[in-house]
Amino acid sequence: MASRDKTNRRQALRLIGSAAAAGYVGLNWPGALRPAHAAPTQRPNIIFILGDNHNADAMGCAGHPFIDTPGMDRLSKEGVRFENTFNTTSLCSPSRASILTGAYAHNHGVKNNHTPWTGQMPTFLENLSKAGYATAFIGKWHMPGHGLPKMPYLDLFVSYTHREGQGSYFDCPMIKNGRQVASRAPYITTEVTDYAIEFIQKNQAQPGEQRKPFCIYLSHRPGHPPFQAPEDIKGRYDHADVKEVLPDNVDPYWYGKTKGNVFQGVMMGSYYDQYRKYCETLTAMDRDIVRLLDKLDEMGLAENTMVIYMGDNGMQWGTHDCHGIREPYEESARLPLIIRAPWLIKDPGAVRGQMALNIDIAPTFLELAGAAMPGHVDGQSLVPLLADAKAKGRDDFLMEFWRYFPENTPSYKGVRTNRYKYVEFERGRGPWLFDLQNDPKEMNNLYGTPEGDKVLPGLRKRLGEYLEG
Amino acid sequence: MPKQSAWRQVARPVSLVFLITAASYFGYFGSRQVTNPSLHQIMAAFFGTTYFISIALGSVYVFASSRLKGAALGLAVAACFVTPLAWMTKEVWRISESHPLAECLYYYLNPLNIWLVSFMFVEMGLASLIIRPLLRRRGLGPDGGPGAAMAVVVVSLAVAVSLYAWGKGENIYVLFLGGYRALFGSGV
Repeated sequence: MASRDKTNRRQALRLIGSAAAAGYVGLNWPGALRPAHAAPTQRPNIIFILGDNHNADAMGCAGHPFIDTPGMDRLSKEGVRFENTFNTTSLCSPSRASILTGAYAHNHGVKNNHTPWTGQMPTFLENLSKAGYATAFIGKWHMPGHGLPKMPYLDLFVSYTHREGQGSYFDCPMIKNGRQVASRAPYITTEVTDYAIEFIQKNQAQPGEQRKPFCIYLSHRPGHPPFQAPEDIKGRYDHADVKEVLPDNVDPYWYGKTKGNVFQGVMMGSYYDQYRKYCETLTAMDRDIVRLLDKLDEMGLAENTMVIYMGDNGMQWGTHDCHGIREPYEESARLPLIIRAPWLIKDPGAVRGQMALNIDIAPTFLELAGAAMPGHVDGQSLVPLLADAKAKGRDDFLMEFWRYFPENTPSYKGVRTNRYKYVEFERGRGPWLFDLQNDPKEMNNLYGTPEGDKVLPGLRKRLGEYLEG
Repeated sequence: MPKQSAWRQVARPVSLVFLITAASYFGYFGSRQVTNPSLHQIMAAFFGTTYFISIALGSVYVFASSRLKGAALGLAVAACFVTPLAWMTKEVWRISESHPLAECLYYYLNPLNIWLVSFMFVEMGLASLIIRPLLRRRGLGPDGGPGAAMAVVVVSLAVAVSLYAWGKGENIYVLFLGGYRALFGSGV
């Protein structure tokens, strides 16, 4: 765990930064900057929506040829989409812990889906609660441990432990504030969105002087397997041409079965159908995003609420002969990220090319709320990038992964810069070095080549700096 | 009918199934090197199918053929395991790229292997019922009635189907992961 109680130079700088940020945010709270989006000067509400294993290209606004995602498309049109967003650990639980804490996995300690969440590091929800926000965690928790954690600072905690915390698409038994409750809506995205809307309505029903700004962490199950969509969406993409999306080397019937396990695929259907069903679940989730956005409009909250859509991991669908979320390829690590904050974004509909990370979410919210930045936060607030398209982003970040039984990806550490990706595996494989500018599909490993040798010392040095902390 | 050695009783069916599996493996993965998309699809579909059939359904042939050649029940059952066990070991070898030996050995217990073994017993039971008249005609038994074979079919089929039907396989997988954590913690 990180030494979060220890005051050091880095922490002092962060505190100074937080104070400066508070001033900056003061200028950027709703109503302070853009007359077109004038609203009462108060701290903004925050709704963070998290998808599961969502390949960053599987959105209409990202140019996908057939998927219907009007909710994400609307967010993208009214906000900005970050096309270079990555997780720092390509696996569900570590990535979720990084989102909640703003810390790398080697600091928060959730290294794989078997490593328990200890709760020793505060989440942004706790920090926001202390800063006067009404907070809700709704949906998929999915971190190991005995049941759900104790988070007494939350005003609402609705989640599930069913099937290792994966839940089920239909009739998922829920746990509301520590008590088992029956499912109220058949489909899981409707169920959790209903809770979110009720939380907002309850918040808005309070008298003005008692009403706090709210922050909702709304975590969905789509697109995690087994892919199951509601009846009215099921089959929507049956005739969609998935060859436009999947790589040529994927054969529809056996891919992903023979290299992994031949029987798993047989029981789950063809690979093409799997992809179609995956898209159906994302569309089902998107429909509830639309519903939530409409509700914000109806309640007059759209101008004063930051809405973020993000995925916990990407997803490889056959590229590099891989299926899944763990390999250090772009498709696994790259995340969808769309942020709408009308008072802050001067160029709605724009696409940001700067790198953003899952560990940037917590500091973004804390800055937005004017809350102090805890010492454990490794990420950087995205507020400057939201406000200014030309603001400088980060130069690089640490990629880290710990082997996760029974999946076959060795532990690795790596560094990704704006141009290069360098990865060292603990065992089983030699290093990878890709020039992402000239080889964006990562087909040519430059490790051990004259070209690679030129940049290797710098990348190794940077990786060493990260690992030494 | 002259009695054959135990080796000759099982060698031919086991070798045949194993060779089909091996050829299918190389054919399937070799197809990825084929640049013509249509040819690639044809090769992948053909070899993927034979790969699956030889592993998943090979037991019917191996069991029936071995028994008809006079192999004892135990030997015929063991012969059925050769190819599936080789395939399971290939899978264990695959994950040894990432995990230490003890954890790789635990991987033998993964739900899909249990499903495969359950289905193999269904096949062996069915094969046993099908070849009963032929065995009698050749004077190779069996002595008892079909009850035991039928029981094997029913019980194994119930296990195979329920493993899949129970949460579409998710619940048994959760148990498998729970066992892993009990033995190895998080592994890191």
